[in-house]
Amino acid sequence: MSSPLFVTGTKGARWILSAPLLAFLVVLVVYPIVTGVQTALLDRTLLNPEPEFVGADNFGRVLGDDGFWNALRFTAIYTIVVTAIELALGFLLALVFDRAFPGKKWLLSVIILPVMIAPALMGIMFRLILNQDIGLVPAIFRSMGQNVSLFSSDSIIPVLVILDLLQWTPFTFLLFYSALQSVPEELYEAAALDRARYPRVISSIVIPLLLPTIFIAGFLRAIDAFRTFDTIYVLTGGGPGNSTTTLSIYIYKILSGGDFGTASAAAAIVAIVMLPLVPIVVRRLNGDVIAKNKKMKR
Amino acid sequence: MTATLNSKQSLARRKARGASRKGLWRTVIVVSVGLFINLPLLNAVVTSFKTDADIASSPFSFDRGFTLDHYIAVFGGSGYDFTKFLPNSAFTAVGTVALVMLIAVPASYAIVRLGFGGSMLMNLITSLRLVPAMFFAIPFFLMLSAFGLYDSIAALVLANTFLNLPLAMLMICSAVRDVPIEVEEAAVIDGASVYRTLGSIVLPLLAPGLVAVGILVFLFTWSDYLFTVILSSSQATPVTVGAAFFVTSAGIAWGNVSAVVVVSLVIPLSFAIFAQRYLVRGLSAGAVK
Repeated sequence: MSSPLFVTGTKGARWILSAPLLAFLVVLVVYPIVTGVQTALLDRTLLNPEPEFVGADNFGRVLGDDGFWNALRFTAIYTIVVTAIELALGFLLALVFDRAFPGKKWLLSVIILPVMIAPALMGIMFRLILNQDIGLVPAIFRSMGQNVSLFSSDSIIPVLVILDLLQWTPFTFLLFYSALQSVPEELYEAAALDRARYPRVISSIVIPLLLPTIFIAGFLRAIDAFRTFDTIYVLTGGGPGNSTTTLSIYIYKILSGGDFGTASAAAAIVAIVMLPLVPIVVRRLNGDVIAKNKKMKR
Repeated sequence: MTATLNSKQSLARRKARGASRKGLWRTVIVVSVGLFINLPLLNAVVTSFKTDADIASSPFSFDRGFTLDHYIAVFGGSGYDFTKFLPNSAFTAVGTVALVMLIAVPASYAIVRLGFGGSMLMNLITSLRLVPAMFFAIPFFLMLSAFGLYDSIAALVLANTFLNLPLAMLMICSAVRDVPIEVEEAAVIDGASVYRTLGSIVLPLLAPGLVAVGILVFLFTWSDYLFTVILSSSQATPVTVGAAFFVTSAGIAWGNVSAVVVVSLVIPLSFAIFAQRYLVRGLSAGAVK
């Protein structure tokens, strides 16, 4: 593959310029993958400095644990619910933003603010606002004559879903809003000439054009929701009981118990579950970069 | 991006044809949504300025007025290591930005302009974004402990570089691609080497894109919790984990906790406000064609 730009002397330069990346990939990607798989096959714990090969025992232990399946089920349902609602609400909000209105520029900052907040700190702020004794939300419920206990096992899951919506709907909104900017004005004008009504314009023009964005926004949110850790861990620690234990929290609990082997096996199982999705998303995310890159190299 | 945003806005404005009252309902909706989603933050800010007596009596109570006591307590030591967490966060974030740039800028140039690694290398890097971080956290812990780097800023910088590299590579590759190739061709005809072309011609043109990447990497590093909680215990603890310490202890001093959270958010949120256009570009990178 010869470069179009430099006639000679780029072979060395390619390697030199990529050297830091390659070194990093070897040390912090390849080596950890090998170590991770290796650890999953050993009975390595904090107290066992000379671990032995135990084959698939760790995997068997994880797969035989009800806790793992409960965590998987909770994580999967949580992921699907929050992703679906965030896509819908983010899209609606983006439509509201897609025309001029007073204060638009300033309000865009306000809307995307939650995305900038560290989820762990968000978790702490949620604990404050939901606190039974001093929190704003229980106080509002009390003033309406309702006495709710937000952290009980009945209400905690809807509460967690709402909290995820508060922080991440702005993210899907932002992706949709950016994508709406690239819908050509002529299409709206043509639709207006055809006397198409607004819902029709949305369903027949905007949504088809935004499909790639809907796909990417959905996947990005689903991947992040699937590995949710910070907010829920800070808020509930996975409880009450194990009712809000996500897969990440499940693995973290095993890890803090010092059982590296089982934790690695659980992490590897999660990685394997995710693996089939990787090529699909990678093609979508990278398609653009590579397509133009090829054109470049003609 | 800004240019297209502006032209679109002016187009939309023309289309609105003096129907400014028509736009007002959008303002009302957006203001309500904005208030609602930022309620936890507003609540924390208000709480941080309330006296302990007011906090304990009711969320609506502000009888005893405004106080800075909680901020004084947080910075005045009083058993908290908060004054150490803040620089830890800053050093980790700045170090990560530097390392990410050092790795991603030359490599992106090699990939996009010198055809290094083809699409395979980029696919590999992008797929790192999708692997559960937890899978890497355990080997990182074992490896960094073995090198004596556990609970050090260096360990957090390495881990966060790992987390942020895929997004940075995606964004920088697309920025390199957007540099007009004619400019580079002119440099080459004048006899500039690859390094000279990259350093003197391409790099200055990449600057705005690199600012966007830098801000995002800084923010994400500042926000990281999972790797940080696994890789640090006391010396390198940044604000995210440090603030959570305050909460998990018994008898939470909510006024102080609120002050800690508000101080921890000042830097990231100023970015959100002052660097908004970079953030919009960065967050939607790769997702919008």
